[in-house]
Amino acid sequence: MSHMANPLATPDQLFQRRSFGSLPIEFQDTVFFATQCLTQAAGLLLQLPQSVTAQANVLLARYWLVESMMSHEFGDVSAAIVYLTAKLSPHPRSPRDLANVYAYLLSPSTSLFHPPTAPPPPNNPSIYYLSEPAYQTFHTRLLALEAHILYTLSFNTHVALPHPLAITYLQALEFLGTQKEKIGKRAVAYLNTALLSPQMLYLTSQPNALAVAAVYNAARDVGAKMPECEWWEVFDVDREELGFLVVGMRSVEGWGAKIRGDLKGMMMGVGRGMVTRGHVEGELGRRGVKVGNGADVVDAEEEVARRMDEKMAEMEAGV
Amino acid sequence: MASKAKSRWADDEADAALEAQLKKEKEEKKRLKAEKARRLEAEKQAREAAAAAAQQEGDGANGPPAKRRKVSPERETAQAAGGSDGSANAPKLLRFDGGAFGKSRSVENYDKLNDIEEGAYGWVSRAKEAATGKVVALKRLKIDPKDRGGLPVTGLREIQILKDCDHRNVVKLREVVVGDDTSKIENIFLVLEFLEHDLKSILEDMPEPFLASEVKTLLQQLASGVAYLHDNWILHRDLKTSNLLLNNRGQLKIADFGMARYVGDPPPRQLTQLVVTLWYRAPELLLGAARYGASIDMWSVGCIFGELLTREPLLQGRNEVDELTKIFELCGVPTDESWPGFRRLPNARTLRLPPSSGGKTASGSVIRAKFPLLTAAGVGLLNGLLALDPDKRPTAKEMLAHEYFRQDPKPKQEAMFPTFPSKAGQERRRRRETPNAPARGQQAADFGAVDFSGIFAGREREERGGGFSLRMV
Ligand SMILES: Nc1ncnc2c1ncn2[C@@H]1O[C@H](COP(=O)(O)OP(=O)(O)O)[C@@H](O)[C@H]1O
Ligand SMILES: [Mg+2]
Repeated sequence: MSHMANPLATPDQLFQRRSFGSLPIEFQDTVFFATQCLTQAAGLLLQLPQSVTAQANVLLARYWLVESMMSHEFGDVSAAIVYLTAKLSPHPRSPRDLANVYAYLLSPSTSLFHPPTAPPPPNNPSIYYLSEPAYQTFHTRLLALEAHILYTLSFNTHVALPHPLAITYLQALEFLGTQKEKIGKRAVAYLNTALLSPQMLYLTSQPNALAVAAVYNAARDVGAKMPECEWWEVFDVDREELGFLVVGMRSVEGWGAKIRGDLKGMMMGVGRGMVTRGHVEGELGRRGVKVGNGADVVDAEEEVARRMDEKMAEMEAGV
Repeated sequence: MASKAKSRWADDEADAALEAQLKKEKEEKKRLKAEKARRLEAEKQAREAAAAAAQQEGDGANGPPAKRRKVSPERETAQAAGGSDGSANAPKLLRFDGGAFGKSRSVENYDKLNDIEEGAYGWVSRAKEAATGKVVALKRLKIDPKDRGGLPVTGLREIQILKDCDHRNVVKLREVVVGDDTSKIENIFLVLEFLEHDLKSILEDMPEPFLASEVKTLLQQLASGVAYLHDNWILHRDLKTSNLLLNNRGQLKIADFGMARYVGDPPPRQLTQLVVTLWYRAPELLLGAARYGASIDMWSVGCIFGELLTREPLLQGRNEVDELTKIFELCGVPTDESWPGFRRLPNARTLRLPPSSGGKTASGSVIRAKFPLLTAAGVGLLNGLLALDPDKRPTAKEMLAHEYFRQDPKPKQEAMFPTFPSKAGQERRRRRETPNAPARGQQAADFGAVDFSGIFAGREREERGGGFSLRMV
């Protein structure tokens, strides 16, 4: 039994992602980051343990390596993955809970991606109040997507997280008591940030390697003295992979800042809220990029109809 | 060869037909195998070419993405090299393999041969993979389209647990396939390795009981499978003879994980009691324990042990109270010494038990008397498995180390196991009267509210057993 192991992305899958015809890679990265942040925010509001939300993050990353990003609305995908992950955990959440939380997070009142320096968005509950028909359609989309996601992942929902391993490894290493605590906190932070990263480290490395890299980075940050031997080999990680992960984890913060900038551009200067397929298509249009992936081609008429629906919804919501 | 051995109860007419079909299937299989080999070779070559091309293109790109992309193939080659020649100073690192991920295939890859089981609860059929000729069992996931909760968590758990398992005594899940229309996922099938029999059908048709050595082989395999599950924090929660499969090579495999789930250590504080088919349900469950563990499976193993000996389910209660009555008749009435703390269980507080003193036979175990042909070691094991106090039951591992398996007669070699006419392989099974695991396709809580509470509710009730009466107040 491979409890400790995760299914990993094949080189083909990673290659496909950036192949000709799919969404430009920087768009994918932006949407990926934004949706992972949305998922984390939903996990918090739903009071799910971080371990459950982290599993949702990993499943979402896997899903988008198999299914085209533009085939469903990003917020819906996030909601369905959180619903599914919670259902399989000891902390199930009802479709109604999901609907309320996502209605808030996707509304103009959201604090998602709200710059900490800016004044808080006006909280107007009527904006994210969910009418019964709106709830019903959300619910229906949620269930259809749940099944679609499972199909896409061939029903494999197993996720092994590196977090407990990092703590175990830390216990085995000889750091000072006070240092240990600091290192542990930082290591967990590294692991959580890596979940958001479009580098998808969780899809290229096994939990033991992620855990070792996080401990390594954390110890270095704290200035703790590490064992002189090649201690990572004790945890079955080789130097090459460790090096790759150490750099990868350290670059996430830089990525985050850049992507926030891209996000703002894509959403036409709106400094907060969640990016939608409409935003992406708009930006693509402005740049004159055509998405040529068979599954992604949106019928022009259908597209116009959808845009109008969105506009209507916005007007109804009183924006 | 074992499979050629004559059935102990041959039915010549059916056998002739069976043989003819088997022969036909075999030839077809041979042909497909050859074809598959050819196809695989061609595919391999295509893949290698594609991989080489991808690698080349990848080398042309710049920046971190290319680096990331290259990691896996490089690592794979390094690993392969290290593995094959064990190069001198490369560290020996354990490699974890969690497999890959991708979309489910379509059920259209399989051709249905015949139904195995089609009832109110289940739908299992025998099928053949078109491309390879491999015979499999297809089990359809029960989905209620009216259930606004989406796909049933029990089915998803069944899939995940089976995917995680890899043991010779646990049925293998080859893949999960879906109906052809993938715009709406409504039909989901588990593709399981096919086994010719389930133990229940065999027991029902046997003119003679299993030999002592055969019972041992079966029990040993069962215990070994259960030990594997428990080692990996899986409770099966529905062990019974219809969920144990047997192939024509004498191999037993545990199936039907529709009730199974992972439990941690310490176990979750609140688990549903609505598990395990009534006749195999442990007394602590009947008494309403919300915290229980692997020992509930061991109770079921005890019930299966008894059934293997007599060909009859051991404790056929008509309802929960009757089941408890039958248990106490066989195993004795619990006392504070034999089962400390049992009075604190929710349904035990209102239980009025006959005084256990006075030397009445009904208050002690009668297992010894019920199985006169069983050796002392066998009785010891059965008594242990059917201990009322869950803490006194042996674990599956302890069971495997039990003297019973070392004493003569020794467990029969699997290859020497008799073969049986397979109903699953030939014809639709006749519908049997089998109680089912509780709460199938419904919310456990509903079931509890309706059925269970009704039985243990305040009303005075009496169930007459053989030697005493059990009163629920
Ligand atoms: N892999 C298999 N090979 C052959 N027969 C099987 C297989 N799996 C199940 N069956 C048959 O189908 C019956 C029902 O399958 P099971 O998994 O127990 O589903 P249910 O949840 O409906 O009880 C079993 O009792 C057995 O007779
Ligand atoms: Mg069954």
